[in-house]
Amino acid sequence: MELQEKLKILADSAKYDASCSSSGGNRKNNGGIGNTSVSGICHSFSSDGRCISLLKILLTNCCIYDCKYCLNRKSNNIKRAIFTPEEICTITLNFYRRNYIEGLFLSSGVIKSPDYTMKLLIKTVSLLRHKYHFNGYIHAKAIPKSSSSLLKELGSLVDRLSANIELPTENSLKLLAPNKESKNVSEIMEYVKTNQSKKYVPAGQSTQMIIGATRETDFQIMSKSSDLYHKYHLKRVFYSAYVPINKDNLLPSLEHPPLIRENRLYQADWLLRYYNFKVTDLLDIQNPNFNVLIDPKADWAIRHLEEFPKEINTCSYNDLLKIPGIGIKSAKRIISSRKHFTIHLEDLKRMGVVLKRAKYFILCNGKYVTNRDLFNQKFIEKNIILEEKNMTALCKEQLRLF
Amino acid sequence: MNYVFIYEGDFISLLNIILYLIKNNLQVENIKTENYNPSLFEQTIHLTVMQDEKIIDQITQAFGIHALRSMYYVFLSEEENKELILYYFFRNALKYRHRIMYYRNLKCVSEVLRISNYVRHEIHKMKGFLRFKVLEKNILYAEMEPTNNILFLVSCHFIHRLKNEFWIIKDNKRKIISIYDKKEFVIVNEKEFHLAIEKESIEEQKIELLWRTFYKTIGIKERKNDRCRRNFMPKKYWKYITEVKEEL
Repeated sequence: MELQEKLKILADSAKYDASCSSSGGNRKNNGGIGNTSVSGICHSFSSDGRCISLLKILLTNCCIYDCKYCLNRKSNNIKRAIFTPEEICTITLNFYRRNYIEGLFLSSGVIKSPDYTMKLLIKTVSLLRHKYHFNGYIHAKAIPKSSSSLLKELGSLVDRLSANIELPTENSLKLLAPNKESKNVSEIMEYVKTNQSKKYVPAGQSTQMIIGATRETDFQIMSKSSDLYHKYHLKRVFYSAYVPINKDNLLPSLEHPPLIRENRLYQADWLLRYYNFKVTDLLDIQNPNFNVLIDPKADWAIRHLEEFPKEINTCSYNDLLKIPGIGIKSAKRIISSRKHFTIHLEDLKRMGVVLKRAKYFILCNGKYVTNRDLFNQKFIEKNIILEEKNMTALCKEQLRLF
Repeated sequence: MNYVFIYEGDFISLLNIILYLIKNNLQVENIKTENYNPSLFEQTIHLTVMQDEKIIDQITQAFGIHALRSMYYVFLSEEENKELILYYFFRNALKYRHRIMYYRNLKCVSEVLRISNYVRHEIHKMKGFLRFKVLEKNILYAEMEPTNNILFLVSCHFIHRLKNEFWIIKDNKRKIISIYDKKEFVIVNEKEFHLAIEKESIEEQKIELLWRTFYKTIGIKERKNDRCRRNFMPKKYWKYITEVKEEL
């Protein structure tokens, strides 16, 4: 098979993995080719608007498993291919020299056995690092149920190692991926967490969940994420809106992937990691799903108007973070600036505050920005929904065009 | 009469002129390079000011590295009155010293922050969007047309990343070329330096085809979102980006 056709097959099979970040690495170029950038670098953006940072491919799309949602499941009648380790090195190095990519993201279907597959991954990455002295970013997938000595070897060669949890609950996993157990994935996470150092998986681990293939609520999904962040110190949990590629009675028949829901989950994920929110602040059993019309932070604020409006010039950093329209950067700017001068309304825009969102929730020098009589739930909710509608209308249009 | 002071076009010269103007309390309408066309009410003035490189250290000590770096980024921008903005920034920095960057309520500070961020973002983008071709004799060659004058800082990135390669980066907008010989890079003017570009290597077309194949394959068509793509990767860069230039 020609290299080009192989690449086509094995990139096509890898594209549903959402992760493509290349951040967190700190590898220097000592005599070979390449280095990593702490912030990560996007080299291109694909037709769906996602960042392309890494050469994202499978080593092979042959697989002994038959997970219902997966394109590469055993029972699918598709073209199968396998790269040799040298072929992957050739493509990676040629792309890297031309500055197409930041490095390699290598995953694989399970061929013969988990250990056999892991050994192939290790061989490839080891060639890149030792024969070609490649110091660019490498993200590899760990294969569940492989032995821990192999996990040790692979982790010492790559920047990031990850294992996908795939579905938020054990029940779903039993239903759609009968050969997988979440226990096997958590074993990998536990191992990586315990051994992580500058020399072992320096850029940390991440995972991915498929959204919308099973019936879990957002509350269940976010609780799972929060659990994972606490237990295993994951750098990221990625959410991948389910794209209906296989027909199966066990799978929902969706017209479009649930992109807005995916977006809400990412927003909430951010709130957990950087804004000191807890899952229970945002959702509970009575309200187990995010509001499709309003982003999670604004939605929370509208339901907790008793905490607002907050005075920009005096409230704490933590309180600033709770204000819709104020992000981490702008909160930090406000804190560092207000030691030196009193902040007025016109300064806020220069600090990156989204005023059209924040204006309902703040006092600036004791003054409420809009009419104080209009500080009520109904009015604010209506206005915010109107603004977001313009946004979602655009999203829908994009989908329809396709 | 409005006085427009002329500087030699480089950062050091600009800083020295600004310091001189402030010290001597001269009234400033603007500061421009040689090829500036003054209006009817303006008069250009050439000053003989010592070009002292020590001013870099002095600024770093007095205002901090963050301020110096931001000033340098503003200098690299194409902002119309960047010299004047830097002049006002400098004046205020003499008053507020290390605290200067916190005074976002001053127009000169917020402008310096806005412009320097813009330049910084473009440098970051170009680290990703630059595309090399492999020429005969194994030389890497890239062209770009950035909005700001970032060739120097982009080159600084590639001396680490592609340390053991010969590479050439050309800024087609400013007609300047950065040449790296595995030890250091120099930036030369196209006019003063005739560059004979080698032919593309035989395998170049093959690799480009592989890359375009990958690019086309990796997009999920159920999620197609052109607006989002253009937001992250503005069309002004596409001319030199291997995988999208055909779509122009």
